[in-house]
Amino acid sequence: MFKVAPLTKIVFTMVVSLWAVALFSPLALSVVVGVQLLLMVLGRVEAKTYKATAYLALFAVFLFLLQYVFVPDTRLALVTGLKMMAMAMVFILVLATTRVQDLTAALVGQCRIPYEYAFMFTTALRFVPDFLSESRTIQEAQACRGYSTKGNIVKRMINFLAIVKPLVLRAISRSETMALSMELRGFGSQKRNIGSQVALGWHDYTALSGMVTVTLGIFLY
Amino acid sequence: MSEIVISGLSYTYPKAAKPSLQNVSLKIDSGAFAALAGLNGSGKTSLCLAIAGAVPHYYGGAMAGQVYTGEVKTTESGICEIANIVGLVLEDYESQLVTLTVEEEVAFGLENRGVEQSEINRRVKEALQMVGLSGKEKQQTAALSGGQKQRLAIASVLATKPQILVLDEPTSALDPEGASELYELLHRLNQDHKLTILVVEHDLSLALPFASQFILLADGSVEKAGSPAEVLQYMGSKQHYACSLPPLWQLKLGLEPEFSSFGDWKTDDEAANELIHCLEKLEAGKSA
Repeated sequence: MFKVAPLTKIVFTMVVSLWAVALFSPLALSVVVGVQLLLMVLGRVEAKTYKATAYLALFAVFLFLLQYVFVPDTRLALVTGLKMMAMAMVFILVLATTRVQDLTAALVGQCRIPYEYAFMFTTALRFVPDFLSESRTIQEAQACRGYSTKGNIVKRMINFLAIVKPLVLRAISRSETMALSMELRGFGSQKRNIGSQVALGWHDYTALSGMVTVTLGIFLY
Repeated sequence: MSEIVISGLSYTYPKAAKPSLQNVSLKIDSGAFAALAGLNGSGKTSLCLAIAGAVPHYYGGAMAGQVYTGEVKTTESGICEIANIVGLVLEDYESQLVTLTVEEEVAFGLENRGVEQSEINRRVKEALQMVGLSGKEKQQTAALSGGQKQRLAIASVLATKPQILVLDEPTSALDPEGASELYELLHRLNQDHKLTILVVEHDLSLALPFASQFILLADGSVEKAGSPAEVLQYMGSKQHYACSLPPLWQLKLGLEPEFSSFGDWKTDDEAANELIHCLEKLEAGKSA
């Protein structure tokens, strides 16, 4: 997976999503999920990627149960859970095995997406850990002032506003500073040089051919 | 030429009731090391932003007067153009970091300027070495400590090789050793690369050994500017600045009424040598 260009991985993400939509056989969907799991192992992803996949699997089980409660059809419930698993897992796989600046370079250089939009994608990923850490800090600070997570769901949701409000306000303030920082560092200049090398190689063409073949196979048979 | 010349600068933020800067005029010579001090709300950050061109280009508002950075008039140049001369490290260093990894962060400004990849790699390495973050190139910025993030923000500005470096409270997240190391780095940059440096600092004892100029702001105006000794003498004469004085100068100004007049101490060693000499003279006087 590391030797494959980011563009191939972007195509792989779209193709797997397409397969997940098109397939209705639990066995075929299990194979798609299994292949992705195998690619994770081959890509030597970090432990946190497996953890994220485990949470995803838990959510798939929940979806299976929910589907089964409303329509007591085991096969349909299994397909629903597996479809979601296959679709979401591919994003985890691609993000875990690709440097984000390479993805940005591929989006800008090969997919012709304006740099500003590609950068927005990168930045959103950059701020996820900060956002989580800030949320924890605010929860601790509000807990010192009597914030409670106890009570019924309505009460808890109302209480949760005490976390959300400062979090959103801080995020807005942070985005303003960030925009200023980017301006001060020449963002928006026409001379930009995106350093990453993301050209396709023979293994990319092989992988892309494989994806086309499988897709044709699914739709033709 | 990398001097900063400000004449009659007044600035009011949009929707603000009163101006943040009022008729500020000052000159920081090319190659100077200036420290900007003042109580909270005195206009230090606004002045830094005006030097970098963010005021008024980014914030809008009403501005009067002129700011020259080198030969560039900030009101007539874009932020990107000014950024080629002035490097600004913001007070909120954490929000200043915009990319995922350490090396990307340092490379960001260079990529925006269209610098060649080989040169980017060289400068990233050099800048990280300067701030003591070598070996952390691949690390995620979110995983760094507060002090490391602050040093990374400085490295990302240093990599662009500005002629003027403006730092807004650069030691707020550093431990005492880190703060002292940072000032030594700034001193080296000032001496070896002839970089003009303006640093906003509440702890003047950190800047005292290296600064050639102190500027004291109050209510958006320059209350006193000049050599560190002149400004510290002035601060010593004002009761409300008593706590802002470096401990060395609190001692000096406390002892002077009882003993003789001392020199303009910048370091502990200077003070110790003069005090030892003074005590020896006193002892010799008693013996005689």
